[in-house]
Amino acid sequence: MLKARSKVAIMTLVAIAAMLALPSAQSRPEGVSGVQESGCMCHGNLPSDSVVASIDGLPQSYNYSEEYEITVSFQGGPTQEGNVNQGGFHLWASEGTLSVNDATAQVFNQNEVGHTDAGNDQVSWTVTWTAPATDKNVDFVLHVNSVNGNEDGAAGGSTGDMWSKATVSLGGPIEVLEAADPFVVLGVLIIVSASLLAITLAYVFYRRDPDAFDWDNFAPWLADWMTSTDHKKIGTLYFVAGLFFLGVGGIMAMIIRIQLAVPGNDFLTQEQYNQFFTLHGTTMIFLAAMPMINGFANWMIPLQLGAADLALPRINAMSFWLQPFAALLIFTGVFSGHGADTGWTGYAPYVVSEGAHHGTTMWAAGQIMLVASSTLTGINFLTTMAVMRAPGMGWMQMPLFSWSILVANVMLFLSIPAFGVGLIQVYLDRVVGTAFYDIAAGGDPLLWSHLFWYFGHPEVYVVVVPSFGIISEVIATSSRRSVFGYRSMVYAMAGIGIVAFIVYGHHMFTSGMSPTLRFVTMLTTMLVAVPTGIKVFNWLMTMHGGSLVYRTHTLWALGFLVTFTLGGISGMFFPSIAMDTHLHESYFVVAHFHYVLVGGTVFGFFSGIYYWWPKATGKMLSEKLGVLHFLTAFVSYNALFWPMHRLGVWGMTRRHHTYFVTTEEALGSLPMEAAGWNMFITVSGFLFFFSNFIMVFNMIASSIRGEDAPDDPWGGWSFEWMTSSPPPAHTLYKLDDGSWGIPTLRDANEHIANEPGWLSTWFGKLLVSDDDTEEAAH
Amino acid sequence: MSVMTPIFEGLWDHYILWSVIVGAIAFGWLYHHSFWFTSKDGEKVPNVDGLEVGVFPKHNDDMRLEVAWTILPFLLIVWLTYYSWEPLDAMWTSADGGVHGYECDYDDPKYTGSNNSMNSLGIIKSDCYHVIEITGQQWFWSFDCLELNESLCDTGTETMEVYGSVPVLSLKKGETYLAVMDSIDVTHAPWFQHLGTKEDTVPGMETTLWLPISDDMTEESMVLCAEYCGDAHSIMAAKLVAHN
Ligand code: HEM
Ligand SMILES: [Cu+2]
Ligand SMILES: [Cu+2]
Repeated sequence: MLKARSKVAIMTLVAIAAMLALPSAQSRPEGVSGVQESGCMCHGNLPSDSVVASIDGLPQSYNYSEEYEITVSFQGGPTQEGNVNQGGFHLWASEGTLSVNDATAQVFNQNEVGHTDAGNDQVSWTVTWTAPATDKNVDFVLHVNSVNGNEDGAAGGSTGDMWSKATVSLGGPIEVLEAADPFVVLGVLIIVSASLLAITLAYVFYRRDPDAFDWDNFAPWLADWMTSTDHKKIGTLYFVAGLFFLGVGGIMAMIIRIQLAVPGNDFLTQEQYNQFFTLHGTTMIFLAAMPMINGFANWMIPLQLGAADLALPRINAMSFWLQPFAALLIFTGVFSGHGADTGWTGYAPYVVSEGAHHGTTMWAAGQIMLVASSTLTGINFLTTMAVMRAPGMGWMQMPLFSWSILVANVMLFLSIPAFGVGLIQVYLDRVVGTAFYDIAAGGDPLLWSHLFWYFGHPEVYVVVVPSFGIISEVIATSSRRSVFGYRSMVYAMAGIGIVAFIVYGHHMFTSGMSPTLRFVTMLTTMLVAVPTGIKVFNWLMTMHGGSLVYRTHTLWALGFLVTFTLGGISGMFFPSIAMDTHLHESYFVVAHFHYVLVGGTVFGFFSGIYYWWPKATGKMLSEKLGVLHFLTAFVSYNALFWPMHRLGVWGMTRRHHTYFVTTEEALGSLPMEAAGWNMFITVSGFLFFFSNFIMVFNMIASSIRGEDAPDDPWGGWSFEWMTSSPPPAHTLYKLDDGSWGIPTLRDANEHIANEPGWLSTWFGKLLVSDDDTEEAAH
Repeated sequence: MSVMTPIFEGLWDHYILWSVIVGAIAFGWLYHHSFWFTSKDGEKVPNVDGLEVGVFPKHNDDMRLEVAWTILPFLLIVWLTYYSWEPLDAMWTSADGGVHGYECDYDDPKYTGSNNSMNSLGIIKSDCYHVIEITGQQWFWSFDCLELNESLCDTGTETMEVYGSVPVLSLKKGETYLAVMDSIDVTHAPWFQHLGTKEDTVPGMETTLWLPISDDMTEESMVLCAEYCGDAHSIMAAKLVAHN
């Protein structure tokens, strides 16, 4: 390394010497390519090699934000001690900030300084250069003028004056490469996780049938998984992919938390940090939460509806297989060293600006594929629910999890095209130079915000509503009751679906929207609390008069009620604008959305995993390990995210790679205690991260030596409990007469079952089902 | 060092009060039910709703309760919106005769400054306001006092221990300023931490932000960038000085 560095140093010296020795022929005072080429309006038309310009005081590589005193000077030419004027200079630096120390020099802008009239009688000047805060290659261009000080000519007397030029280049702290590069750490961890995943799968394969453990059996097994259109297999694939990326996103969160553990940390550079939080958000939402929802939905929607498969199995396979490639695209940028650094929200115009990393293009491309995948999945689930419900099952007899997937997919289906359009515009802007977001060309910076949040807000409900469905199932089953207020649950979900579309402006309170619009948005945002409140109280009421049986999934559901309610309450603070102007983009926001995304969505998933695992695999999970997982994760989770509320109120800003506390000597942006709390959060973060491996271990242990699961271990009523555990390869159900087939739903409330409501009558008219054609034939 | 402004603190306390009430109801209920209505193993419990696999169970609902918890939260949000309305109005008041009046007329013989004062809600009112300009650029802030004299508004740079060289905006206590803001490249947002305000600066668009400097404003506080703007976003800082 040292060798390479001294090589660079020698080359730089040679280059400097060469540049000093060879006055550049192209540089003329009236040069056309900008000031760094043309220099000052130098006296004298020709560059002269008798004038030697030099820059002293620059390091070979700079430290971030450090200030350097640099001396610019020249020798030779017509200058002479005792002349009225001796010379002048102009210095340009491509990066960092130039400033002056005394009256002999002046600042033109942060990249340019030159002499003043007072500095005309010198041949050497000192100025200050503040290095950039990130890794950059910096070029300096110095022009000097050697003058004889005579007074001929109107332009100030320039006959016989001579000028010259010198350039110097330097780089940022190369040490960054020598220390553990966080991207290498991330890459290694991802590869290790992928290998562990592969080994685990191979081991599970082995344990299924130790005698058949050879390639001849493995290859078809693998090929079957890769080409299957079976909803259960695709569901498992989604699930494994989602869980894997939950781990990857978790690794990134851990790296983020290491960086934030102490104030002023430099474990990550700013550029790296920006990529990490972008990737963390993108991975968690699009590559972890969404696939896990699809995993649950793929498995359970046909089973709950009493159908044999999804309506469009091949489309289903295609939706899934778009995902790994999209993930690959999104991560390709990162491993090129220039991953997307736009935040998961990718605000324009930054996202199309030159400053944004190249990887942003890959990121947009990957997201476009995910949009395609989600759209196809949406069509598939909606179609399935519309036409493949078992006989006897009206819309208002669908289990609540199915309803939640219906609502989520309708929302997704109506909103994701806007996101797709925005992404395509960004992609075109970045690749072929269109100008949708080019402000100079009349592009509209708010357009992206509107397109994004029109999608983005429904999207956050899209990821939480399926968890509502899971929790409804789990609480009702565990309490041995039917869910309280089934109909109001459905209407509340639909209500959330509708309100979600009219509240997105709350993400833009401080973004220059008209105040009237902002006020309307404030009201509608508050309105979300109503259907959400209905759901929470209905869940609580479901427990009333029941007999709650404590299982791991019950614990997670109760934990969900606590954390989701807290997240809902903190969400109520944002519509109050006089508070929002302080809280916006602070850690209060980070705390809030992790309370709903982790405490809501992910806890719901955990509950669902423990609830449906026996059905899907035919093996029971260990309750002991489950309870241990819940206790450790629930406690560390709250220790991780709860203090972030306080940090946000104190003024800790989101998406900042570091923060500074106010000490007796120095003013920072946070009180002293913030440092301790951040360390506490980081430690809790690691505990939370690792506690989830208890679940992974539980799953592996269950696959290997779990007890066999009965058909209906928890006493649920919906159709998934009517088939075997695991369901047969071609999904069918055990009918009363002992045969296998498609079941018919009976209804304990007979009087309602026979009267379709106006809504289902209306929907019925839209659909030409087999029954209708039969009826028409009568 | 508290960064909470009185206006924020008032709302915060009120919201915390309601959060505690709502939390107490929800968690008290949850706590009670999760100990009261339980059974050890789920065997032999009365199947009140006739749960049976393959049968849609009996409805378990009560219209009065469901309506109650639709109406009550609705009333609560109406109240909270109402309660937030006056502070909101002050934060986004009009520049033409809002709570800060009109731009100061320096030639008027009766002109004595903004003379701002805070009411019990933390809302600041002023006789008139001064206009300054803020420009965001990757990655530094530029402040411009426009025509204001040095005692009202001053700018400079300062080298800070932790943030390095940062621009300084020095404003006078008791005076109210309207910042007219723009950006040269991408979106930024100055967060005046001790004023509890921030607003995006958007390229090609003018946005405004009120900076009412009350008499008990902290002397020195930070201004950070709150809208992600690229590499050096986190150190795009400035300092706000409140002078007498
Ligand atoms: C291991 C647990 C986790 C930890 C420690 C963690 C930590 C963090 C932190 C500190 C940030 C803020 C970064 C910044 O603004 O500077 C963040 C952002 C974020 N997190 Fe997490 N997180 C975790 C899990 C999750 C999960 C499970 C999800 C979603 C399902 C999630 C979604 C997000 C999103 C969407 C962002 C915003 C990214 C952006 O600003 O573009 N996180 N996380
Ligand atoms: Cu900025
Ligand atoms: Cu910024």
